[in-house]
Amino acid sequence: MNPFLNPGGPDTGVVVKKITNAYTIRAGEKTFDCVLSTRLKRESDSDPVAVGDLVRWNEAGQIVDVQPRRNQLSRRSAVPMPGAHAHEQVIAANLDRVVPVFSAANPKPAWHLLDRYLVSAESADIPSLVVITKMDLVEGRPEADEIRAVADEYRACGYVVILSSAETGAGLDDLRAALSGGLSAFVGKSGVGKTSLLNAIEPGLGLRVQATNRATGKGRHTTTHLEIFTMRAGGAVLDTPGIREFGLWDVDQADLALFFPEMRPRVGRCKFGLGCRHDQEPGCEIRLAVGRGEISPYRYQSYLKLKDER
Amino acid sequence: MRTSFITQRTYTRSTGLKNTFGDFTCVNCRGFVCADAALSGVHNRNHCPYCLASRHLDLFEAGDRLSACKGAMLPVALTWKRGLKKYARPGDGELMLVHHCRECGALSINRIAADDDNALILSLLNGASALDSATLAACAAAGIRLLDAADSHLVTRCLFGQN
Repeated sequence: MNPFLNPGGPDTGVVVKKITNAYTIRAGEKTFDCVLSTRLKRESDSDPVAVGDLVRWNEAGQIVDVQPRRNQLSRRSAVPMPGAHAHEQVIAANLDRVVPVFSAANPKPAWHLLDRYLVSAESADIPSLVVITKMDLVEGRPEADEIRAVADEYRACGYVVILSSAETGAGLDDLRAALSGGLSAFVGKSGVGKTSLLNAIEPGLGLRVQATNRATGKGRHTTTHLEIFTMRAGGAVLDTPGIREFGLWDVDQADLALFFPEMRPRVGRCKFGLGCRHDQEPGCEIRLAVGRGEISPYRYQSYLKLKDER
Repeated sequence: MRTSFITQRTYTRSTGLKNTFGDFTCVNCRGFVCADAALSGVHNRNHCPYCLASRHLDLFEAGDRLSACKGAMLPVALTWKRGLKKYARPGDGELMLVHHCRECGALSINRIAADDDNALILSLLNGASALDSATLAACAAAGIRLLDAADSHLVTRCLFGQN
């Protein structure tokens, strides 16, 4: 039994599945289907319960209390039009690991999106593990070398990067070992192979997957809800629907450089100290480090892009 | 290392390179520069037409905006870029500006534009003689042949026509 899914309290359980307004709570070996109580609904503008939350419920099958979270992975909600009001959308709570999943091809990796996930995880103080899937599609082609070069860049920043293939089984043992403790959340665009990877590392789950669209190369939004699966090797994995946009939430512009591990030791050492924005200021340690090749220019560009977005 | 279209590592690639060339204020003379192709005759306006200064913004290729230096790049000399025609006549090609970064010493060659100050361009003919030995060596290493007074007929023809 996974210790994470066995919280101990008699009327306390973990939210392991969420479909719109219906929640499945697991307490020990039992699962319960619940909805939000009217009081919780009234108290919050947005959804007060996220997958991974420790909650209490009553006999009527209503969640009545959410225990304080250890951490949470949030994003800025997608808005129907520019300028519309955005709110915080909590993807999951009480995570031990965020696993951004990217495919080597089909769809092509969007590296700037990876930086967003990593910054968001850093700001929530959650460790990250980067997984590149579908490596079998690029083996022997120039893209494979490029992806390995990018993976090395992120390893140099201190991240663990696993190159894998659900088709050939490459990297799956490393991934199983890395996921063997705590709760990990798979996040990534639609069609990158999050659910296929889960099926591969935990045979028998039999989760529904689909091929990407042959015309557009994009995913088909097959997984439509959030659900936690326990692993036989230990640990649990949260499978999420594909995320098209990932806007940062509650990340202060002044603190942004602190969420880039390679920039963090240099913050405060610029000519203008903590007032430096690391953009055009003379004597900026971070810009100098980019010039010396100690910081990837792509990561620096991601930093500037995210900074301007705030 | 070069960027490629495979992985779209730069934001500029997702929106197209044309969006990276916009109106700007010159880092050297502070003059406002309009990047409209109808005025400059080029689609990639990358230097000031009044003082010919540029800015060190690109790292691997034109328009990638990956350089963190962002220092002023001053015009130091002229060079000649041969055209793609294999059997072209001697002198066929394009006059280019050589820019030198004041901060990090990087070199780049850039196309001249229709609204550039011709007198300033002509004055750069003697620019090569004023360069220090390190810059000259860097130019030689990059395969940039600097024009001098002996090439004045070529530059004049390029700027003002055959006569």
